[in-house]
Amino acid sequence: MTGRVIVITSGKGGVGKTTTSANIGTALAKEGYKVVLIDTDLGLRNLDLLLGLENRIVYTIVDVIEERCKLKQALVKDKKNPNLQLLAAAQTRDKSAVNAEQLREICEQLKEKNDFVLVDCPAGIEQGFQNAVAGASEAIVVTTPEMSAIRDADRIIGLLATKEEITSYKLLLNRVRPNLIKTNEMMSVDDVVEILEIPLVGIIPEDTGIITSTNKGEPIVNDEDALAGKAYRNVAQRILGEEVPFLDLDEPKGFMAKIKNVFSKLKVKV
Amino acid sequence: MGLFTDLYNTVAKFFRQSDEPVIGDASKAVATNRLKLVLMQDRTNLTPRVLEQMRSELVDLLSKYLEMDKELLELNFEQEGDQVALMLSIPVIRAKDEEEIEKALNAENKNTEEDICDDEDFEEDEVDEFESKNSEEIENSSEEQIENSEEKPKPRKRRTKKVSTPEGFEGNSEHHEENHQEVVIENNEG
Repeated sequence: MTGRVIVITSGKGGVGKTTTSANIGTALAKEGYKVVLIDTDLGLRNLDLLLGLENRIVYTIVDVIEERCKLKQALVKDKKNPNLQLLAAAQTRDKSAVNAEQLREICEQLKEKNDFVLVDCPAGIEQGFQNAVAGASEAIVVTTPEMSAIRDADRIIGLLATKEEITSYKLLLNRVRPNLIKTNEMMSVDDVVEILEIPLVGIIPEDTGIITSTNKGEPIVNDEDALAGKAYRNVAQRILGEEVPFLDLDEPKGFMAKIKNVFSKLKVKV
Repeated sequence: MGLFTDLYNTVAKFFRQSDEPVIGDASKAVATNRLKLVLMQDRTNLTPRVLEQMRSELVDLLSKYLEMDKELLELNFEQEGDQVALMLSIPVIRAKDEEEIEKALNAENKNTEEDICDDEDFEEDEVDEFESKNSEEIENSSEEQIENSEEKPKPRKRRTKKVSTPEGFEGNSEHHEENHQEVVIENNEG
């Protein structure tokens, strides 16, 4: 079998790359697919925490590369779902401990035995990013409706466009707050998509449940009632090729909204 | 103090909302516009400095043929969908007559002959250059920009820049209404 290697990236830190990786991975595993999550954030690993696996890690990706263990030994099975496995980052090393070629090789090996390999990319556009995208053929760009996150996402999209191996990149808009969009204090989903010009794979509403789910080490997709959980399950469905409508987070409609829409489209001046 | 300000704002907000519903502070429009501008610079690699240089070179070029109000010249970028257009708006006072154009061109040729080795100026031999040299050489004449562009990612495939029509371009109507003419330079880069 040849699985799909998808890198989850953003440029800016703190927009939810790791949360997204954990949730999409868990959702795909729940659907019965074999999934490996790779944490490439060397020195700042967190994916283990979000999955509640921090106490089970024996070997890391650096141990695999430096041949202290076999790749298989370093994979940690999820507590609930044996379809989901984690390859953790080393906490005591930095990004230079791994190079792009080594990561590509690991992705190659993993995709032979799994349906999905999800690579959680570190923030930034340096070595860590270059490593993380090396083995991937698809990318999910995570951003939030804030200027700095969007600008960084745009930069990342520009860099991804220069990589020939990456054949598809999609946008995941995280931490959307419908009430702020309604009062025109936050850019709407349409605004962001119009600016970044790449197809949307998901809209995740801001959800306090994310905090508690992180506290417990349990991805929010396992919570059937949470809105963000539902949104992430929908993302997994779209990755699998299903057409799922986006959650209705009511955007402003009506007269005033139209007027403001006109203003927001005023031309940019140099 | 903070407490009173908060209180005032809460009360004021309450009344404001009842007056004009769903207005918010509309800061989204500000963000969108600022973002569009900054992204245009990021994507095209046109820093404010380069834009200024471009502007002054265009003034030099056009003033051989037109008498215009240089101070009011404006360079704008407009983007709609995947189309990007560069809009140049200049208030034209009058077109020069043939004699003046001839004179300007001659003066310039003389200048070029005088300092042939000075190759950092784009304006030298402009007319000939545009007609006879291929675009590669023109690019080479502005080394600065090429240096900059090496750091940045290649232009992306998805941003096909097409020719856009000047429709809906209103310029900045206030200061130059009478003889206002537009020169539209279209970006055909693929």
